[in-house]
Amino acid sequence: MVTVTTWIIITVVAIIAIFIYYYNKFVILENRIQNSEAQIDVQLKKRTDLVPSLVKVVKGFAKHEKEIFDKITKARSELMQSKNLSQKVKAGDQLQGFLGKLFAIAESNPEIKSNSNYLHLQQELAAIEDKVAYSRQFYNDSVLGLENASERFPGVLFFKLFGRKKKDFLKIPETERKMPEIDL
Amino acid sequence: MDRLSFHDQIYKNKLKSFLLLAIILAVLILLGYVIGKTVGQDYFFIIMIIAIIFSVGYIWFGYYNSHKLALASVKAKPASHSAYPLYNNVVEGLCLASGLPKPKLYVMQDNNINAFASGRDPKNAVICVTTGCLEKLDKHELEGIMAHELSHIANFDIRFMTLTAVLVGMIAIISEIFLRSLFWRSMGNSDDNKGQVIFIILGIVLAILAPIVTVLVQLAISRKREYTADATAVKFIRSPTGLKNALKKIQSEVPPRTSEEKHHYNKAIAPLFISDPFKRKISGLFATHPPIEKRIKILENM
Repeated sequence: MVTVTTWIIITVVAIIAIFIYYYNKFVILENRIQNSEAQIDVQLKKRTDLVPSLVKVVKGFAKHEKEIFDKITKARSELMQSKNLSQKVKAGDQLQGFLGKLFAIAESNPEIKSNSNYLHLQQELAAIEDKVAYSRQFYNDSVLGLENASERFPGVLFFKLFGRKKKDFLKIPETERKMPEIDL
Repeated sequence: MDRLSFHDQIYKNKLKSFLLLAIILAVLILLGYVIGKTVGQDYFFIIMIIAIIFSVGYIWFGYYNSHKLALASVKAKPASHSAYPLYNNVVEGLCLASGLPKPKLYVMQDNNINAFASGRDPKNAVICVTTGCLEKLDKHELEGIMAHELSHIANFDIRFMTLTAVLVGMIAIISEIFLRSLFWRSMGNSDDNKGQVIFIILGIVLAILAPIVTVLVQLAISRKREYTADATAVKFIRSPTGLKNALKKIQSEVPPRTSEEKHHYNKAIAPLFISDPFKRKISGLFATHPPIEKRIKILENM
């Protein structure tokens, strides 16, 4: 009898341990996704913060390019108003696109090109573009991590049992996949 | 693909680091024993106690400070964001890609392209690059090198490599000092008894063996690790081009000629670097680094 009870206890403990293991595993993976989402946010926020100074610097030399300034201002406020991640990322991409055009204008103007404020902002914004791309990559990697854990056996059973949900991958736009042609 | 988990490598590196420390402890205490016997029975216990306290202290100090010694040995200086924006931005970006905390960044004076990472874990990690590295490489190449160093950090290579380089390197120095003092002692009084002579011989043997063994241990570190770190670097950036081009640039550089140029590097910490700072043309057992041509070839086939 003693041995039977011992075995029952061992089995119960083992089952509890497995439950805890999988529960924690999913929590860790989900937290990683959340954390990488926050990282994307931080970079987008930095971008929104730097844009007005950049616009100001370029405006000082090229007032006539009104159209692009308006577009940038609009895209920036859209980014600031967007609520969820995919909206933010989309607005961020749009803003980045307009910034690219602004950089092109600036590059064709020797006065702006040699302005130290401009150079500093351009360098920081280029770095932010890289960081956004990298944090997205990490976000997708984290989503993949959760997906792998939730689809493998026996993880798949626990995943359903705990009623947890998968997250969506972020689409990476074509332009960011390409290697930039100009080295900074 | 599960690139976020380095569990196996981390486990191995932690275990190896622990074993290394245990071996060093044993060797040091043995060294103390030999010295104690050489000096004579009167002082044996005192010397043994000193040896034990010293070795434990040494291990403890080394575990927490070896990366500082490695940095000091190349006279590295901190690289602030304002002084080195590109260097900082590149590392910050890669940290986002790898989910690692940002290591402390340093720069050392040298015209050749080189870099190393050190520390005991990702939270206490440092990266150091040469001034040549920042001057000669473009952004993508620098990214490649930094991703390689971050992989060393991510899988705890840095712990094992730094401990080996610094603590083992130190053993070589200590035994060298021991050997020298023995030489002067034996010159001084030649009519000691035979027992002492045996220990003097033993001491000499040990003093010669210690660095050889340590060199072998050191050689065992790098070679495979460099390939793994290259591969992980490619996973971080999703492109082998940057690292490949950087290695090609390193390959085309001339080796340091003057002793002053060589003096930038301490021999003991050479294996920490991404490529052999002395650019020695040795392959096989005594090479500290895998042949750069082979690394480029592997990257080209990715």
